[in-house]
Amino acid sequence: MINKKIFWLMLVTIMFVFAACGPSDSTGTDDAPEDVSGDTDTETENSGEDAEIAGDGEQITLNLWHIETGPSEETIEVAVERFEENNPNVTVEVSQQENDPYKSQLSVAMGGGNPPDVFHSWGGGWLKQFVDSDQVLDITDSVDASLYNEAALSVATFDHNIYGAPVSMDVVPVFYNKDMFEEYGLEEPETYDDLLDIVQTLSDNGVTPFALANQTKWTGSFYLMYLAERIGGPELFNEAFERSGRTFDDEAYVEAGRKIQELVEMGAFPEGVNGMNYDTGQSRQMLYTESAAMMTMGGWLVNNVRDEMPEFEDKLGFFLFPSVEGGEGAKNHVVGGVSPVFSVAQQTDHPELAAELVNELASLETATEMANNAGSISAVMGVEYDDPYIQEMSEVLESSEAMQTYYDQTLPPELAQVHLDTTQALFGLSMEPEEAMDEVEEKAEEVLEE
Amino acid sequence: MSRSQEISLDTVRVRKKRKNKDTWAIIGFIAPAFLIYGVYVIYSIFMTFYYSTFSWTGIDANMVFVGLENYIRLLQDGVFWTSIQNNFLLVIASLLTQLPVGLIMALLLFSPIKGMRLFRSVYFMPFLMSTVAIGILFIFIYEGNYGLLNTILGAVGLESLQTAWIGKESTAIWAVIATVCWQFAPFYMILFRATIVGIPEELYEAADIDGASGWQRFKNITLPLLMPIIITSAILSVIGSLKYFDLIYVMTGGGPNNSTELMATYMYKQTFTNFNMGYGSSISFSMFIIAFIVTVFILLGDRTRRGNE
Amino acid sequence: MIKVIKGIPLYLLAIGILVVTGLPFLIMTLTSFKGQMEFMTSPWSIPKSFSLDNYMLLVELEFFGYFANSLFVSVVSVFIVIIIAAMASYPLARLKFRLSRPIFILFMVGMMIPIHTTLVPIFILTNKMGIYDSLFGLIGPYIAFALPISIVIFTQFMRDIPKELEESAKIDGCSHLRLFWNIIFPLLTPAVATVAIYNFIHIWNEFIFALVLTNSSQNATLPIGLREFYGEFSVNIPGIMAALTLGSLPLLLVYFIAQEKIVTGLAAGSVKG
Repeated sequence: MINKKIFWLMLVTIMFVFAACGPSDSTGTDDAPEDVSGDTDTETENSGEDAEIAGDGEQITLNLWHIETGPSEETIEVAVERFEENNPNVTVEVSQQENDPYKSQLSVAMGGGNPPDVFHSWGGGWLKQFVDSDQVLDITDSVDASLYNEAALSVATFDHNIYGAPVSMDVVPVFYNKDMFEEYGLEEPETYDDLLDIVQTLSDNGVTPFALANQTKWTGSFYLMYLAERIGGPELFNEAFERSGRTFDDEAYVEAGRKIQELVEMGAFPEGVNGMNYDTGQSRQMLYTESAAMMTMGGWLVNNVRDEMPEFEDKLGFFLFPSVEGGEGAKNHVVGGVSPVFSVAQQTDHPELAAELVNELASLETATEMANNAGSISAVMGVEYDDPYIQEMSEVLESSEAMQTYYDQTLPPELAQVHLDTTQALFGLSMEPEEAMDEVEEKAEEVLEE
Repeated sequence: MSRSQEISLDTVRVRKKRKNKDTWAIIGFIAPAFLIYGVYVIYSIFMTFYYSTFSWTGIDANMVFVGLENYIRLLQDGVFWTSIQNNFLLVIASLLTQLPVGLIMALLLFSPIKGMRLFRSVYFMPFLMSTVAIGILFIFIYEGNYGLLNTILGAVGLESLQTAWIGKESTAIWAVIATVCWQFAPFYMILFRATIVGIPEELYEAADIDGASGWQRFKNITLPLLMPIIITSAILSVIGSLKYFDLIYVMTGGGPNNSTELMATYMYKQTFTNFNMGYGSSISFSMFIIAFIVTVFILLGDRTRRGNE
Repeated sequence: MIKVIKGIPLYLLAIGILVVTGLPFLIMTLTSFKGQMEFMTSPWSIPKSFSLDNYMLLVELEFFGYFANSLFVSVVSVFIVIIIAAMASYPLARLKFRLSRPIFILFMVGMMIPIHTTLVPIFILTNKMGIYDSLFGLIGPYIAFALPISIVIFTQFMRDIPKELEESAKIDGCSHLRLFWNIIFPLLTPAVATVAIYNFIHIWNEFIFALVLTNSSQNATLPIGLREFYGEFSVNIPGIMAALTLGSLPLLLVYFIAQEKIVTGLAAGSVKG
């Protein structure tokens, strides 16, 4: 009997604790009364200062989460300073996050009801997940759409409503070592067969043709995206994604998978490609030490090189992924993406101010600094580039007839995961192309046709 | 009215008082721990099960009650079965390597070797290193082209064994398991070592008089006395292996092609990458059930062992 | 104690294990003195010169603030865990009551909870309590998840303490509180050492709660700080290794200084099983 009593007592205590921490919604409002008393104290002194003090009394804090590093992080901080100067009563708490944990931290914060006011995204399916959950503020009315590159803005536009403002863009060319190409008498390829010849020559000479660290998965996905586009044309992905024609198990995708495996069997990629990590620099290391000659990578590679081995920049050239004979795609169609995109959380207490901060973060000024300091192509129109490299890249982007955004950022996360996993399996030769594409299509039917 | 009766009445009263006092003591002693534990852990288990009965992204208010549908889906999920299989592989490998290796290391520390202080200090180091550091280091050690392991294999003429250890589906899980064992064997070493230190020297002296060999001494004295701590270690090792996450997350992220996926990494992926909080919760609740069943089995096994003694 | 193998094979085995256990740590430390290029071109060589550049960078990056935060959180959590876990174990191990077994199992069950599942509930709870983004917000979950193993260890130790000890105390009319504090707790030193070390190491390296429950950098613990270095260093592996080396130093120091005490302490009560 007594034991039962103990049990109930504990249960009641626990209940009590839960009840106690339940309705305590007084966050944020605590500051107000203190400041009022502060006002009355100073009133006797000087009425002229009063306005300023009252302004201080409404001190507002905005939280900003971003994932930029190095020069682009500084650019963000400068933009925040500009914003704070224009809005003296606002303090922005800037929190720099690391790429991968950022995703989980943001979802926990959103689900837990305490998200940052302004947050980073890459647009696309990942952002849409939050939009669909009513977690992102529609900022169509606060953003001047005409400022931005249309393709860039489109990654954050859903149902004609704008949910984020883009700052920078990247394209993905094939980078190569000019010295090594010269040494082996190679030229930039025009067609896929040219590329195969290059791969053959390089591997005959004991050089790994492509440096690729595919544990990271998105790195290998570039090859699939390019091959599929070159074979099936620029509309292939859109048709599959929008469920309006061809599908993810289309022959073009299967053929792209076959071509990847053909490259793997030719020895185009390093040994154990699926175990190498891009983030720890393993593929770039091969490039720097000249044990590999090419790398299909976003324009940020230039930024990495400048940071890690500046003298290598002289050797670095790039070309666009060659076209496949008989395919519907063309060499001047690029794969690219947009990052960062800044959005406002639905739950923010200060929607206008947060939107204003977004405008500052995605302003011409910020984008210019981002382009010239951090080497990324601007998503804001009218930026003048100091950096010849970025100038060249942006010309490539401007002259391209079609841009394919990264699958893994465009697709809903769950489907993106299947795309990444199966592509990695293709590189590991542990899955047949048909099998891989069927699996993607199966998931697409489940996720996209709900 | 004899004195003896008086006394017995008194004792009864004392006992009753005692019992009352006990009750309050029990409550008082357990309450602080129980409160904190109840708030953070019990509540969480409950919430995990609760979430697992919903189709929910985890980021919005829209929760659709689906009953046990997530569990039914889970049973048909190939990756989940792969991860269970990998978890049990890890459990078995941990039991078969961490404990014996830990024991050998502990025994070595009692053998007549010079520079004991150095050995003692270094042997425990893996357990003191941060998992992130271990993960990054072993990525480079296992690297396929210039990695330390392949470099060493090349130097001793075993080029044929060189491979991309964590890049291949066939070797990745073993490479990661080896790293996990490397990290945890020293922990068991220190538990065993402490136990051996406590064994009274007289027991061995007696054995020496009987002319027991080294092996006999180990088998007849050391091992039986180590048995309780071995059981504890086995439980710790099994439970730790079943919910293991860290190194896999750092080293392979569950890849290549899900070949190193564990239940915890798969749960993490579903919950935070794929926005399936409901489904992810059903994975963690299943982990909990599996770990619970396994532990009960070990405890039952231990009870019968004790009963037989 | 083992005389099965002797002499050279014994040394070979001992040194083999020494290399396997020690080499990674050695590499980590050596790498931390290298420049980035040197690491890229020859990852396994001994550094040409021992440059302290990476360490200077750490000092610039408020490394010691994180350090202090980690120390605070770890010490407070471990201290509280020891006290309340030992207290809870006392009735579970020494007193007979009907719910003893269920409560013990309830605590033990906690060892099987993967902490990632508890993230969202705990995050919401921490917010409601108003201790989000504070070091105190971390202490709660750290204690809660350290309790199961600590209680299991303490209970096992206490069960082995001879009953006669407290029988005599009871006859003297000693209260449970005094009995626990004056007689039982002092005998627990070995278990306290185990519990302290085990939990300290875990809490010192804990990452995911610290990530989710704190946000500002003045409340960041060391693992979160290390993550910040990731951003700062991008792929400067030597820089990261410097941070990791410095981050492991406190644990190493504690262990080197106290290891004999820890082991003899551990030994004192562990055999009676």
